[in-house]
Amino acid sequence: MGRYVARRLLLTIPVLIGASFLIFAMVYALPGDPIRALGGDRPLAPAVVAQLRDEYNLDDPLVVQYAKYVGDLLQGDFGTDFRGREVLDTIEQRLPVTIQLAVVAILFEAVIGIIAGVLAGIRRNGFLDNVVLVSSTIVVSVPILVLAFVAQFVFGLQLGWFPISGIGEGWYSFVLPGLVLAAGSLAYVARLTRTSVAENMRADYVRTAKAKGLPRRTVIVRHTLRNSLIPVVTFIGADIGTLMGGAIVTESVFNLPGIGRAIFDAVRAQEGAVVVGIVTLMVFFFIFFNLVVDVLYAVLDPRIRYD
Amino acid sequence: MTRPDLSQPRAAAPGTGGTVLEVDDLHVEFRTRSGVVNAVNGVSYRLAERETLAILGESGSGKSVSAQAIMGILDTPPAVITGGGIWFEGRDLLQQSEEEQRKVRGPGISMIFQDALSSLNPVYSVGYQIGEMFRAHRGMSKKDAKKRAVELMDRVRIPGAGARVNDYPHQFSGGMRQRVMIAMAIALDPRVLIADEPTTALDVTVQAQVMDLLKDLQRETGMGLILITHDLGVVNEVADNVAVMYAGRIVERGTVDDVFANPAHPYTDGLMSSVPQVEAKGGRLLPIAGQPPNLAAIPSGCPFHPRCSRRRLGAAATPGRECATDLPPLRLVVPGREAACHYSEEVLGV
Repeated sequence: MGRYVARRLLLTIPVLIGASFLIFAMVYALPGDPIRALGGDRPLAPAVVAQLRDEYNLDDPLVVQYAKYVGDLLQGDFGTDFRGREVLDTIEQRLPVTIQLAVVAILFEAVIGIIAGVLAGIRRNGFLDNVVLVSSTIVVSVPILVLAFVAQFVFGLQLGWFPISGIGEGWYSFVLPGLVLAAGSLAYVARLTRTSVAENMRADYVRTAKAKGLPRRTVIVRHTLRNSLIPVVTFIGADIGTLMGGAIVTESVFNLPGIGRAIFDAVRAQEGAVVVGIVTLMVFFFIFFNLVVDVLYAVLDPRIRYD
Repeated sequence: MTRPDLSQPRAAAPGTGGTVLEVDDLHVEFRTRSGVVNAVNGVSYRLAERETLAILGESGSGKSVSAQAIMGILDTPPAVITGGGIWFEGRDLLQQSEEEQRKVRGPGISMIFQDALSSLNPVYSVGYQIGEMFRAHRGMSKKDAKKRAVELMDRVRIPGAGARVNDYPHQFSGGMRQRVMIAMAIALDPRVLIADEPTTALDVTVQAQVMDLLKDLQRETGMGLILITHDLGVVNEVADNVAVMYAGRIVERGTVDDVFANPAHPYTDGLMSSVPQVEAKGGRLLPIAGQPPNLAAIPSGCPFHPRCSRRRLGAAATPGRECATDLPPLRLVVPGREAACHYSEEVLGV
């Protein structure tokens, strides 16, 4: 197992290099001139433009720019944006917000999704099963943007239960955006759990567990759930990475100063260093959580061994 | 519906004791969207201590469903027990609460299944799964339960039990896995063990070992054994009595020696002729013509009549014994032998 993890971690290096180069190239290929845009309506003096272009290596070919970027990166220098702000500072400031949002979203997704799925799965075609089916279909088919505004309007404005903007109220500020961010995955987790539980309820070993005279609770919790949750854990684990990166819309609508907003702003301003730094970090998170899932897989299912 | 006479003790193997389990006119149906499937239609039998009763029949004859009804592990819905009784230790299990029924499973009646790989939970060690019996029914600690699990694995002759107790089902061979199932089933010294096709998934040599083990355990504990199978060879070797099922009914019953030597029902006769025999080497196998009955539309009269070579229809039949209209009851034909055929005497040749 240890060797497997080490090998997987080593494999992240080429993936990170490849991913960061692709992102770098995409930012490079964006139309428009980022330096000229800095001046707004009034054009910058040619001398200033030349100085900035030189400072940010903008006149070098793509490969040279990238090589210089990686060279700095290896010395721990993430570079600066065009206003001279360290990219690392931006990440340090923004990342906790996104992590908080992702944690709240994952909690909603896992707790509500799994409970709903289990209740639906143990009584297939029952009342709760239909409730879960209908509500998850609605949630999945409504775009997250619409969901966000409806949530803000109903729970924020009409009922006044939750703040709808900013992070002024600590964890409580993240309840509504977390729910909105989690909604799609939550519905998916509920459906996945439901199918998996319903299937496992008919498994031969569950029949055996009943024939052993185990209490119903034991049959469900120990013999049905553990096996049913293996695919669910896989999905949720992989989803952590997705949620961290996919929070752009939610952070914008709820005005949360997180990583998603930072990427959005940086792309608009063509801040190559910022975009590449943050997205590469996201890629790393994604790979990391996938590795965690694979390790967890072996813990949950003894048939899976990596050595 | 004529009920078989249960007041008379049935033929039992020499040295067997009193009745431990009695199934009385059991009816089970499956209510599906496409209609009602009549899986078990009035099955009655008794099992004595130390007796091995084989229930023989082809797929869909209701043999497994009736066993699952006894265990209380039918999927309800779609299955519904629509009538009858299952008497165990003086109580009708069907009248008991779910909780009381649960307490019988394990210490009273237990069951082993055909495919041990899918019947064991893949994510728990075999020691844990055997030990669960003691933890759930005896309130034993995890540690003590594991100790007992090792003893049981020894008892079912799993080599190196102490070292293998923490292994998972997929790490065992097919025969060893079935031994694990058996260890689990006998953990609490049940009075009745139901073995549903216990050797079907195993190699022939391993089959014999597993059957020997079951017989040895039965000798030690005196439990009654219900052996559900379609394997005539296994029945011949290990069973005392046999009940042949067709379309959810018992069509013939008697001691194995009698039934095998001289069947009283055309279906049993057909089964015997369809199996390769060493003595009849080079001869032709005679399959039973036609298809097993559709349980959603069981033929009228004798359910076997469309496939029966001895059927008598219309004017050829004795009045009241028309095979396509009159359902033959399970009746005593000669001492110790019952059959559900209007013309059993002719089949027997008595």
